Amino acid sequence: MAECIFAFGQCFEGKLHPASLEILTPLREVADRLNKRLILIGLADDKEKFLAIPELKKLLADEVWYIIHPNLKHLPDDLCERVLVYLASEHKPYGIFFPATKKGLSVAPRVAGSLQAGLCAHVNAFEVKNGNLFLLRPTYGENIIAKLTSQRLPIMATLALNAFPIKEAEKEPLIKELKHPEGFDWSTKLTIKNFKPPKKEPSRLSVAKVVVAGGMGLKSKENFQMLFELAKILKAEVGGTRPAVHAGWVEADRMIGVSGVSVRPKLYLAFGISGAIQHTVGMEGSEFIVSINIDKEAPMMKMAHIGFVCDAPSFLKALLRKLKAKD
Amino acid sequence: MGRIVVCIKGVPKPGTVKVDKETHTLRRESAELILNPPDRPALEVALRLKDQTNFEVIAISMGPPNMVPLLQKVYALGVDDIYLISDRAFAGSDTLATSRILAKALSLLSPFDLVVMGARSIDGETGQVPPETASLLNLPSITYVKELRFVDGKFIAIREDDFGEEEVEFSPAAVVSIVPEIDYVRPPSLKRLLSLKEITPKILTNAELNLDEASIGLSGSPTQVADVFEKTLVSRGEIFEGEPDELAEKLIEVLKEKGFLA
Repeated sequence: MAECIFAFGQCFEGKLHPASLEILTPLREVADRLNKRLILIGLADDKEKFLAIPELKKLLADEVWYIIHPNLKHLPDDLCERVLVYLASEHKPYGIFFPATKKGLSVAPRVAGSLQAGLCAHVNAFEVKNGNLFLLRPTYGENIIAKLTSQRLPIMATLALNAFPIKEAEKEPLIKELKHPEGFDWSTKLTIKNFKPPKKEPSRLSVAKVVVAGGMGLKSKENFQMLFELAKILKAEVGGTRPAVHAGWVEADRMIGVSGVSVRPKLYLAFGISGAIQHTVGMEGSEFIVSINIDKEAPMMKMAHIGFVCDAPSFLKALLRKLKAKD
Repeated sequence: MGRIVVCIKGVPKPGTVKVDKETHTLRRESAELILNPPDRPALEVALRLKDQTNFEVIAISMGPPNMVPLLQKVYALGVDDIYLISDRAFAGSDTLATSRILAKALSLLSPFDLVVMGARSIDGETGQVPPETASLLNLPSITYVKELRFVDGKFIAIREDDFGEEEVEFSPAAVVSIVPEIDYVRPPSLKRLLSLKEITPKILTNAELNLDEASIGLSGSPTQVADVFEKTLVSRGEIFEGEPDELAEKLIEVLKEKGFLA
């Protein structure tokens, strides 16, 4: 019992969400340390499309279990819950892990509720000690990391996006279809009337080589807008802190940090960002960090390779003026 | 007439949070509470349904007694009734124990057609409570809802998904969580603001909920904090002080040196 670990493999129309590949990287390590089998669970409506997913043969999982049913096309939350809870009660996994995609964040709590299991959110690191698994997540605005355990099995968590690099395996996993028993309830209370692919291009923030980011130190939406001018000149993507997003200065898909995007660019320019841990966990992998802040003691100034003690809007205005003059 | 229950949360005003050194949980009684910002559009969505279809709207909140003024403010927005779910035994609950408490309180308020919550709280940031509560009530949950309509006895929601946008139809009862993308939220009613002192929330303690103490609070929470540690930062770089112009010039130099500028 408790000898396997489930990872939720989120797919749609023959595409596996990259976040499902990311979570296999740390889970592979956890599974090896604890001597468990790592199993990717795929739910889909079309067997051929599922088996044609190119990444399937290079997965870090030991096995891929897939379940096919026409109602699984849009992965309705209530049906996903029922299928996963059934698998969990049959196989008693040690842990069940989801990527922190919208689907993962919607289905995992339903499964946790059904199984009466603890569920940790936004986990971005694991620790194995004396055969026990600890989950690490940044917390509460202060510079604090919480180390969490679960008193019950299965241990469940959603794993932060972009927090782990995707790796390929040398060995092909065992791929097998699971059949649910006769009479299994495949119904869902959700009817999809219409589905539209995203209107706008997804932001390229997470893979950008240069990121210019702003926080409350920029003082206004107008000042924040200047970052887009700078981004054009530096061929960069614009990011923001959570307070800047909440203030409406920048769109939510440009939020960097715990509940947003993680970035690891070659150059990171922080304008008026103090460096709360919610933000810094999303950018600490940056190669070269520049911070502009009026407060010399701000955490971001300490993280930075170069810090400029200055009012961020004034600095940004001066910088743009000089860069434009050079054109 | 149908019923909508909106679950709201008081969150510590950013900067006033204290962490209990022993249990590593948030000390809510000492913090200054504000309405969790995503709960405001959740209330608006419920109140629009009320304007349209004459639903009764009830706001409930789980939290310490200092939630009362916040609930009164919510009453001023136009909800029909307010409830505070409050008991020392609830303190320290993780998302599972919280969902058990909310699910039980909601079952006392049934029958209802819809439960509305904000997509996530700005303190915990997990977003787990809406779907987890729905699961415990054996109801469908529709997360990240941008728009919600009620047509011919059914709800139609527009929700964001990872691969696109879904239009979902579902029958009552259900739990929805709202993303804060709404264009307008109504101000409080002046008339109601003037009569607030007479309006107090109905209190639900565990005497009413009657939950096993082993299933709530810290002891009913499978997720335990083993440790918290601070990230210590050592200054690693060079710090420059001066006028914006000269500092900007310095940065341009560095960017050229590193090959980020031609």
